[in-house]
Amino acid sequence: MKPNMPLVTLLSGAGLGVGVLVVSMLSPSSTSSASGYGATSPASATAAATPPPAPATAAPTASATAVATAPATAPGTVPIVTASAQKADVPPKADYVAQVNGGGAAVAISVHAGKAVAYICNGHAVAAWLRGTAAAGKLDLTGKNGARLDVSYRTEKATGYIMADGTKYTFSAPLVHRLSSGHRPPGLYEATGMVDGVSIKAGWVVLPGGGQVGSVEYDPSSAVAPTAQAPVLDLTTGTAQYDGITLVATLISGFTGSGF
Amino acid sequence: MTAQPEASSPAPGDVSLGIGKLIVPSLIGGLVALTLGVYGRLHHPTGVVVNIAGFTSAGYVKSWLATVATVFAIVQVISALVMYGKIPRVTAPSWIGTLHRWSGRIAFLVAVPVAVNCLYGLGFQTYSTRVLIHSLLGCAFFGAFTIKMLILPKRGLPGWTLPLAGAVVFTVLIGIWFTSAFWFFSTFGLHR
Repeated sequence: MKPNMPLVTLLSGAGLGVGVLVVSMLSPSSTSSASGYGATSPASATAAATPPPAPATAAPTASATAVATAPATAPGTVPIVTASAQKADVPPKADYVAQVNGGGAAVAISVHAGKAVAYICNGHAVAAWLRGTAAAGKLDLTGKNGARLDVSYRTEKATGYIMADGTKYTFSAPLVHRLSSGHRPPGLYEATGMVDGVSIKAGWVVLPGGGQVGSVEYDPSSAVAPTAQAPVLDLTTGTAQYDGITLVATLISGFTGSGF
Repeated sequence: MTAQPEASSPAPGDVSLGIGKLIVPSLIGGLVALTLGVYGRLHHPTGVVVNIAGFTSAGYVKSWLATVATVFAIVQVISALVMYGKIPRVTAPSWIGTLHRWSGRIAFLVAVPVAVNCLYGLGFQTYSTRVLIHSLLGCAFFGAFTIKMLILPKRGLPGWTLPLAGAVVFTVLIGIWFTSAFWFFSTFGLHR
């Protein structure tokens, strides 16, 4: 009798699925020892080394396709006149948001009276909060798992890069201009809650034009918090539904000082 | 196409017997889809995803794998149409069956890690229409594929069963791709 090939196909698929599942289950311990997705392991050393060239080539496509969710963003296309670094150019209070170059993630930075918060996420497995001080147009912030940045901020924009999860995200984020309408302004939003006894922390970057990118971390105090896509933040109510609970988001604004 | 119905249409009772052969595979396929959905809903999503060197993030890995699976699925439809003689002036070459089988195997095996990643890392979610549709179709796909594989070796089935099963599997996969990889690329940019 001939072997039942379709059944063989099915079973090998099932076997592959179990194999990938086992690898996934084993990976948290391996990633936690190597900080993030393994900044020290050889495999991710190449991963970290390869992305930087990519944004340069991918930037035009990304800003073109990003229009789908965030029409008014596309940081590369905003015609900002070259910042002639004037003396009184450093704002004491400011909020910046943008998609990173290449469009793989979004970033928000809030500066308020010498303190600053930066958040970067890709709406998926990457989310990093960085906190610290801001002085003389430079940010000095750090986050978990070696997250760091080199960012200069001026009245018009904040430029530089954030290293998170072994990837370097470069960006040029324009200042958020306040709108006096009733709905929530673009900026950085944070919410915390409890799901099944596990604390979760969600962060959203709401872009000008209404697009948003959000990630949610499970057990955010742990060394490497599992991270997934955040639910959609309802900008009329400032809330999001997640796993049966309602998350109430707080705006972290350097401009108003809320959330600091 | 021409040989199959002639071989299996002597009596009307035979057709109902043929349809009867679909019951067990359909039940198993339904169980597969249901199991995946229940697991995705009950299992607490970890967000843990295995990235591959050279890609910006796991989202890109998944989107590209899903795209590869979709491309092979398109090969599936074309090769099936050729096999059934549905493309005018194209005679099925001798290797068309091999092409059909292997493109299907590759598409399926490429889709499996993506699905595991989704179910383990993200779970069955309902927080937006896109996500809900994607979750439903994702579970349905593996159920439909299971049914197709289980009825494939059976003889005496009505001639429309395999084309229907194949069409369902393909349509569901295209729906999955549009609600995931297409969305991802259009949101975050088309690159690695």
